[in-house]
Amino acid sequence: MIISKKVEFSASHICRSPQLSDAENERVYGPAANPLSHGHNYIVEVAIEGEPDPVTGMILDLKKLKEVLEDRVLSVYDHRLLNREVASFEHLVPTVENIAIDIWQRIEGYIDPTGRAHLYSVRVHETNELFVEYRGGR
Amino acid sequence: MVYVSRKYGFSATHRLHARSLSDAENRAIYGKCNNPNGHGHNYEVEITVAAPVDGVTGRAVDLAALDALAAREILEPLRYRNLNEEVAAFRTEVPTTENLTSEIDRRLRTVWTGTFPTGTPRLEKIRIWETERNICEVSGL
Repeated sequence: MIISKKVEFSASHICRSPQLSDAENERVYGPAANPLSHGHNYIVEVAIEGEPDPVTGMILDLKKLKEVLEDRVLSVYDHRLLNREVASFEHLVPTVENIAIDIWQRIEGYIDPTGRAHLYSVRVHETNELFVEYRGGR
Repeated sequence: MVYVSRKYGFSATHRLHARSLSDAENRAIYGKCNNPNGHGHNYEVEITVAAPVDGVTGRAVDLAALDALAAREILEPLRYRNLNEEVAAFRTEVPTTENLTSEIDRRLRTVWTGTFPTGTPRLEKIRIWETERNICEVSGL
């Protein structure tokens, strides 16, 4: 069984790779390559797989999941310029693909200390027209 | 591997009417969608592709190439059209959401390797919204 929780953060980013020329950056990222940055309201959907506990009827304690997301993702990402203020993106372009992978890496080990439930997928919606799902490489 | 989903919209007219059925049967099966004058929807098409993230660009898919493909194969031929009258596939098939999903899947698969010659990204899934409550999905392979 899979249970999903949704949270939001707002942040700015610049999609430019130092390994590409200006013209290549413009072609690959379009207007997202603006060196002055731009922002989005991101929606993050975290899906957890497990079986309901026979006593509580819950796959995991959603309050604790919310705390993990707040401590490990939202407090780091929310209202930040991702390129400059989030260490993961110092040498990595903060595309929505890399954001999904980074969120996975930040929370995977903190989902359920008992190991009964585990992270199944991280979905990041950058706009209504674009979202990415990461399943730990699967 | 990551799964990237991109959504596009177009508006079109259709009428659900199977020629092999009687008028009464068509009315019974399709209800108000059988209106002889047709009716329209704001369709939404979601294309999901699967690929590893490129180490340089941080992207799993060339979105400009995907957008151009969707514009050429889906949006330009279907936008503001009468599907029954103006799209060849629906001269014979009923333009239900199911058949429309198959038609869009066919159109994309026909040109996919021409657009992405390396085979990356892989076309994973297509979902079509006819309305907020009526959604059809087809998965790859």
